Amino acid sequence: MLPRFRHRKTRRRLISDSRGFSSIVGAIFAVLVMFSLISTVFVWSLSQNTLYNNTVRQSNQADLDRSSEKVQVLNTTYNAYSNGNVTVSAQIQNNGPSSIQFITAWLYVSNASWNNYNWCKLTNASVQGGSVFTLNVNLTVSGLNSTYTHSFASWLITARGNVVSLQRTIVYGNNIIVSQTTQGIGSISMDFKQSRYYDFGSGYVSNGTSLPSSKNSYTIPNSNNTILAVLLTNYDNTTQDIILNANSYLWIITPQAGTVKPAAWNIANVTNGKYINSFSTQTLQYGKPTIVYFGPSSPSFASSALPTVVPVFILLFGKIGTNDFGQNIPFIAFYISS
Amino acid sequence: MRSIISKVLKNRRAISPVIANLILIAAVIGVGFAALVWAQSQSSSYTTQYGSVISSDISQLQERVVFEYIYYDSTKNNLTVYLMNSGTIGNVGVSAVYVDTNTPNSTIALRLLSTGASASSLNATQEGYFSISPSPSLTPGTNHSIKIVTRRGSTFVATV
Repeated sequence: MLPRFRHRKTRRRLISDSRGFSSIVGAIFAVLVMFSLISTVFVWSLSQNTLYNNTVRQSNQADLDRSSEKVQVLNTTYNAYSNGNVTVSAQIQNNGPSSIQFITAWLYVSNASWNNYNWCKLTNASVQGGSVFTLNVNLTVSGLNSTYTHSFASWLITARGNVVSLQRTIVYGNNIIVSQTTQGIGSISMDFKQSRYYDFGSGYVSNGTSLPSSKNSYTIPNSNNTILAVLLTNYDNTTQDIILNANSYLWIITPQAGTVKPAAWNIANVTNGKYINSFSTQTLQYGKPTIVYFGPSSPSFASSALPTVVPVFILLFGKIGTNDFGQNIPFIAFYISS
Repeated sequence: MRSIISKVLKNRRAISPVIANLILIAAVIGVGFAALVWAQSQSSSYTTQYGSVISSDISQLQERVVFEYIYYDSTKNNLTVYLMNSGTIGNVGVSAVYVDTNTPNSTIALRLLSTGASASSLNATQEGYFSISPSPSLTPGTNHSIKIVTRRGSTFVATV
């Protein structure tokens, strides 16, 4: 038989045989179902994927923009006034490619026994790339007494979420701004107004004894046990912390007794207002006025030499970084009463 | 034509296969539709579920929180954390705060920095703060890590 006639016969048989229709309809339905579902889910998941990728791209771009913010801060000055007002001034150079908007300025003020902070919103503080912005903000820090020495720290927040630190500065009482380093006489300076002593009487000072009320005087008793306190600030020009060890003393001598009679107060550990009889180290953080205690001890000079005025030497020894550090502060005199 | 119809009507042997086929086709169509509806509902549920996951991931990706300042008052054992929402999405709320590896503090009373008013979340570029009393209390002079977890699950860590 010719193939042409054979095909015609097969087709006719297929058409006349209705038993296969349900399978065909079922197959068509199955294909329709699968196609509609797969295409819907595929297109939808594609759109979700695009959405996600766009978000990742935007997020990466935001991170890139934030990390490309480059700011150089110059000439930071702090001026404190009697009512607690502080003026912070600085030159801010935007070295990055994009403009930067500063939204908030923060100020932290501290000394050995007090600290506080405040903030203010900045308006029109937008700096184009390559431009210089002059910052001049006034903040009020409650409790600030401008006659005392304080450490000032300030920082700015950008709209992209960066924190830009301004230079930290120590401002002495009455707004005497000192350089960061007293290179001529050493890295540590002393605040004379804050010197004081604690008089324990003639008794033994045991471990854990609470400090009595302090006395702001340069006259100390000859026979009583005293703990002497001085306020020291680390101005090291490399801004490193100084760690004082037990080889630090407060030392006095008298020229009155015919022989040079010394007396020394070892550096002491006073924690939470109590004398602790073991001392390991004491850290002087850069720029942070810190009280350093010495004692307990007494001059115990011969009565024939009393009363007398003696020079006081604060001998400080320890480490700065990995190097030794040693300094003598010789600017005090005590009057030893009989 | 008339003769063919009368022949078909008279020929009873052909009716049962036709009816059987019709029933079979109807059944297949019915089951097919049912399968289609079921599959569509399943895929709709899947896309909804997956869509919410994607949406949540996208929102999480857009979250950025910067720590403006962290202040600890050792006399009152009070830790105040100042934050800014520097991301591109709003409604950033704090669900938990971890101080070091201690038990999280999940009762966070967030306040807006500008007004001091309480707020449940921060919008984009908004600043806020909250205070907690860490337990155990912090030791001044030592490093501590503060980790906040947002309601969307993002974590941000600062060391003080």
